[in-house]
Amino acid sequence: MTSAVPQSLRNLLADVLEISPDEITPETSMATVETWDSFRHLQAVLAIEGEYNVQLDPQRIPELTSVGLLQAELEKKGVAL
Amino acid sequence: MPAETAASELRPRIKEAAKRQDAVEALSLARQFLASSNKAADVMFCASALANLAPALEKAGARTLKAYVVRSITFEPILPFLTVEAAFAGYALDTRIGGYGSYVDELLNNAGALAQFRPDLAIVALDLDDIAGGLADKCATGDAAGVAAEIEESAARIGQLLHGFRSCNTARVVVQGLVVPDHSSLGDVGDANLPQSLPAAVLELNRKMAEHCRTITDCAFFDVDRLAARHGRSRWRDERMFLASRLATASEFFRPYARGLVRSFSALFRAPRKVLCTDLDNTLWGGILGEDGVEGIATGSAYPGNCYLEYQKYLKRLSARGILLTIVSKNNRADVLEAFERRAADLALKFDDFAATKIGWGEKSNAIRELSEELSLGLDSFVFVDDNPVECEAVRRQLPEVAVLSAPVEEPWRLVEVLAEQPYFDALTVTMDDIGRREEYRAQAKRAELESGAANRDAFLGSLGIVCTFQSALEAPLARAVQLLAKTNQFNLTTRRRSAAEVEAFAAAPGGQAVVVRVRDRFGDAGVVGLALARTTGAVCSIDSLLLSCRVIGRGIETALLARIAEQAQRDGASRLIGEFIPTKKNAPCATFYADHGFATCAPSQDDPAGSVFYELDLTISAPASPAWITLEGVARHDLSSTAVPA
Repeated sequence: MTSAVPQSLRNLLADVLEISPDEITPETSMATVETWDSFRHLQAVLAIEGEYNVQLDPQRIPELTSVGLLQAELEKKGVAL
Repeated sequence: MPAETAASELRPRIKEAAKRQDAVEALSLARQFLASSNKAADVMFCASALANLAPALEKAGARTLKAYVVRSITFEPILPFLTVEAAFAGYALDTRIGGYGSYVDELLNNAGALAQFRPDLAIVALDLDDIAGGLADKCATGDAAGVAAEIEESAARIGQLLHGFRSCNTARVVVQGLVVPDHSSLGDVGDANLPQSLPAAVLELNRKMAEHCRTITDCAFFDVDRLAARHGRSRWRDERMFLASRLATASEFFRPYARGLVRSFSALFRAPRKVLCTDLDNTLWGGILGEDGVEGIATGSAYPGNCYLEYQKYLKRLSARGILLTIVSKNNRADVLEAFERRAADLALKFDDFAATKIGWGEKSNAIRELSEELSLGLDSFVFVDDNPVECEAVRRQLPEVAVLSAPVEEPWRLVEVLAEQPYFDALTVTMDDIGRREEYRAQAKRAELESGAANRDAFLGSLGIVCTFQSALEAPLARAVQLLAKTNQFNLTTRRRSAAEVEAFAAAPGGQAVVVRVRDRFGDAGVVGLALARTTGAVCSIDSLLLSCRVIGRGIETALLARIAEQAQRDGASRLIGEFIPTKKNAPCATFYADHGFATCAPSQDDPAGSVFYELDLTISAPASPAWITLEGVARHDLSSTAVPA
């Protein structure tokens, strides 16, 4: 898992989850953020897809439940973060 | 990049404005911010900043709406986009989203989740599978008769659902149509040629649904397929996300979708603007009349003159449904008249097509203000089109109520597009009164001429030969009554924007009155111009609403309407008439209405709604009488029958 969350991803998730970018670490997850429910998750995925011009596999989407997992998936897709 | 810098500076400013509850500033910054960004996260940022601003938005003139989404598709991710687009259009939305499979219960159960939320607006967004699940299969088998039957039945089912809803709920409704599928098993050629093609069937189903919507009061059809076609039907739905999450719109189109939805429901809450003021040089025609001369200006069948000709034709069509055209131009009047005369063959509009003109060298904002007074129409009824950014900005600053459009001087072929993409003239109905409006305004000008010659007011009014016909709002076109409620601002004692259902409720209640007044005189028929809603309970008749189109104020018609209400109230057993006045920025012309008619101010009571002033009149001592110069037609409510209604 990457140690630091890139600025762009941090800002994006902060907007979607309505929290401060400073609160976001790789460990930030659906379990730790109250606002991060399944609809926010869908919103986050859609925002990420638009921002980085990628398409995530719908079967993977429900599994990407933390910032670190999302970041790893993007890196796997070859997105330059 | 400078744009990036600007955006990163805007974010904290939006946050700060939201923090100090400065809705106007926050909105203007957010608009600026999102004008250069398509990012979902940016929209969500703005939505969250605006979400806490609802009271401030309302104070700044926005209308707070409780909206309930009845759906069978995923709507949640669109919500921030809807909030933002609604705020830009002047609505503070409080939205609730219903369950996936529970739309029938929500619409028809008057103790269900929707009913309990008491929404102002219900948005119905269902998918093809829910509306006509068997349609695609029927199309595939070649059973044209079966397809036609399925369309008919499916649309009728939606119609029934809506009628059922309307019978137990007064919320306004937007019904979303279907997006025509981009492909079917028949293939492009089959779809184009076979009688049972799926695209044709879905278009027909949309048409039929829209037809049913027209039979429901306060209901608008949202043609989402038009948006899909505009942006590309093949991209409108992201099949991956539809199949995985039932998301019917690709995320890249959330904004146009939300904007389209807001535009559709807006027509249920706001009256269309009524006047278009156009500039002449480089707007109505190409070039500058004063420099290029009558023969030098561009208009006519050849490019670039045809760009302007198209714009003129568009204006002429607006005028055909009652939008008043006016000219506001810095020019010599004689030159303009000469241009209209000598270039008549190259122009789609004659000088006479304009209801009023302001041609001269004064400030354009003054000219528009004068037009507003002469036509007795509020500035918020005006749309101003001009190519000069300085003129546009000056009008925006001095007359913020006026909608200002910049004519694209470098791209004249976009003139029509610029006008068409704005919602200013959106109307759900066009009534005969709208169409006759232009003639009516001409007649008003003539009347003004006569008035100056009349020896005294009564003699003048007598010479007009005014005839008032009273009808129950149920007898008259109900759409017109509701339209009056929605758009009358100046002579409107309570400015309650009652819906059709509410008007019907007044008419139907025991002791209730919903009376419209139709007016004609020797110059023409002004149509339905006034309305009053009242209800008698015991010995007291309370007037809920009383309003009159500003075109006919000051001719005693308001007195006749009041007399009519009083008369019926007495027949219903009332001995006291209670009038209510709620002052607004615009209704000063009727502030002394009740006092002028002998009413006494009621002592304020704790139960009075804030902002209301109540007046009372003892009908046993004096009842209002209709002026002698008005001829009355129309029969009393309790002997209304088809034979008793005057021709």
